[in-house]
Amino acid sequence: MLMKRYELIVIGAGPAGLCAAIEAAANGMQVVVYDENSRPGGQLFKQIHKFFGSKEHKAKERGFRIGEKLLDEARELGVEVVLNATVMGVFENKEITVMIEDRVEHIKGNEIIIATGASENMLPFPGWTLPGVIGAGAAQTMMNLHGIKPGNKILMVGSGNVGLVVGFQLIQAGCRLEAIIDASPRVGGYGVHASKLARLGVPFYMSNTVKEAYGEGSVKGVSIVEVDKNWQQVAGSEKTFEVDTICIAVGLSPMSQLAKMTGCIMEDSPAKGGLVPVCNEYGETSIPGIYAAGDVSGIEEASSAMLKGRIAGSAISYNQGYLEENIFKENQAKYRSSLEQLREGMFGHKNKGRTDLLNTEEGFEISLNLLENGFLADVEIAHYPGVVSQERRKQGIVPVIECTQNIPCNPCQDACEKGCIKVGQVITNLPIIDGTAKCTGCGMCVAACSGQAIFLVNEDYAPGYATVGLPYEFRPLPQIGDKGIALDRSGKAVGEAEVISIKSAKALDETAILTIKVSEDLSMKARFFKSSKEVSL
Amino acid sequence: MNKITDRTFTGEEFVSHRDDSVIICRCEEISKGEIRRAVYDGMRTMSEVKRYVRAGMGLCQGQTCSRLVKNIIAKELGLKPGEVEIPTPRSPARPVSMEIYANDGMKK
Amino acid sequence: MMRIEEHPILKSFNKGNLVTFEFDGKSLMGYQGEPIAVALKANGVMIHRFTSKHQEPRGVFCAIGRCTDCVMIVDGKPNVRTCVTSLAEGMKVETQYGLTKKE
Repeated sequence: MLMKRYELIVIGAGPAGLCAAIEAAANGMQVVVYDENSRPGGQLFKQIHKFFGSKEHKAKERGFRIGEKLLDEARELGVEVVLNATVMGVFENKEITVMIEDRVEHIKGNEIIIATGASENMLPFPGWTLPGVIGAGAAQTMMNLHGIKPGNKILMVGSGNVGLVVGFQLIQAGCRLEAIIDASPRVGGYGVHASKLARLGVPFYMSNTVKEAYGEGSVKGVSIVEVDKNWQQVAGSEKTFEVDTICIAVGLSPMSQLAKMTGCIMEDSPAKGGLVPVCNEYGETSIPGIYAAGDVSGIEEASSAMLKGRIAGSAISYNQGYLEENIFKENQAKYRSSLEQLREGMFGHKNKGRTDLLNTEEGFEISLNLLENGFLADVEIAHYPGVVSQERRKQGIVPVIECTQNIPCNPCQDACEKGCIKVGQVITNLPIIDGTAKCTGCGMCVAACSGQAIFLVNEDYAPGYATVGLPYEFRPLPQIGDKGIALDRSGKAVGEAEVISIKSAKALDETAILTIKVSEDLSMKARFFKSSKEVSL
Repeated sequence: MNKITDRTFTGEEFVSHRDDSVIICRCEEISKGEIRRAVYDGMRTMSEVKRYVRAGMGLCQGQTCSRLVKNIIAKELGLKPGEVEIPTPRSPARPVSMEIYANDGMKK
Repeated sequence: MMRIEEHPILKSFNKGNLVTFEFDGKSLMGYQGEPIAVALKANGVMIHRFTSKHQEPRGVFCAIGRCTDCVMIVDGKPNVRTCVTSLAEGMKVETQYGLTKKE
């Protein structure tokens, strides 16, 4: 029987697997990557939003572009990526069985990295088996890989980052998002992701769960119901929505069956998302030569998965004699500090699950309205360092950054050539606007902000009027002269607006800068534009 | 045999819940109530529940319902989900047709 | 129209040739190489099968070939996961009742 042998076998061609393969191959190792899907990249190609972090974390880059670059890099380094290859077994002696097309192959590796990622959690409710109830991942697959809307009217269940990000993508695809619900009283994901939806008018129903999905043959509607502190349904609080699709985004669990099969020590860790292999700092399990990287070893972001992959790839290169000790130590230190940066902040490891945080690390009050309703209240806005005084605003155009939670992220700082924006060494810092710097209104910061939380406000536009430049990622693009209404942070119509400019450029990477003219009292209220030509958004 | 019957003899009545009719194992159409009933009847581990009611034995081989079944068993037994004994993962990790499995080691 | 004509970020989608296929005796169009489930959705089809025990309708759920809710009879073969199986010209797709076609 033929048994192929590789120096490194990587199971899973997602961000962690590809980065591990790239790292090892760059050091001279012979690497094969198996993936059960027909396309590589894991979830990366479904991510059309800009990532957070810093430049080294690939911040402000869209997920699918990162995926393309990783694939190119892997190919150039001679990494063998085998698709439609389902690994069926991983054994202690570092042998694997993999199903490729219509046959089973036995492959032996010197080292193995399990990078199988995570699977979506389920939320059963009456009617959840009806066609029309789908996972959030399914919505992304349909829209972003296959160019088809999952439905016309959607209810999103879950307000973590997945629910919020996919919710926005549904609207970008042309669907109507009726509401976001979550059994928790607070929005689970980043405030900026929630704000993007709130200003479009998407209502947030916190402390609500699905009571029942109904319809003949497929979903025609859904009823939601409030839950009390003990997660019990509150009778009489039901609301119904006419929807054809219900999207479930209630968390991810590591897909660790292959890891368990090896016989390595496992632990059930709620903080990491479920059953994970116990690993050392390099990602090595209790079985020497078998590693785990990415979400399978703990649910985090794609940026973290990429670093975990590099850490494992680098450790394996060193073990196999392809990397000198001093370079190995240097790489590890670099990757580790980068990874730790991503784990800082309000949503980081230390603060996971905390509901008692009142202030940001700098001492600014955390907006309760943002957590409970998905948007900042008007009165709260002026308190944050990204918002300059009215006196400065009256002098001319200036960026207004509505970023109010500590998240490791700083592309706004790098975007401004004039030095208007400062985040500093600690990238979880809230961005500060230097009012003395000369803003030219170029809009680069608006496009660089992955949370779409930066607006260009000009209170010196004309007597009685102000302009607001905002990020716009929808089609059709409004035209100069279009008249419509301005919406505030909660999605409420607050006044008339007229489009005075619409700026698209390659450097803005598909984020258009839409500038609207509004009455001057709306300069700090108007945060979205709805053309009167639109039937519905 | 006695060991098994000992477990079911708690003397307590089975208590129905409002959401017992919700389907948990989508493939085999097993409801929450059936799984809860299995635990009541003495099935304490995922393997036992699986063999008793077929939850996790359908076309998807438990990929959709495993976590749900584990949580239900945990709730019934008053355990943390991590304390419920999960089935031993065995190769093949994914469903494989017998035809392909037979093509193991065959020279083409 | 379920197909996305112009996507603000992705622009357009690479599709193969437009081909004809059969669904429960009806002639439909879809793009060669896309998942059968996508072609069906574009034609407004939501129900892929009816379950064995309770004869309940099922359709696409996970869309990545894992949950097996979207399986149908394709070219006579049952239990084919339509969300990960590519559409080909002349394919015969039938609603699955339990494990077979409608008796």
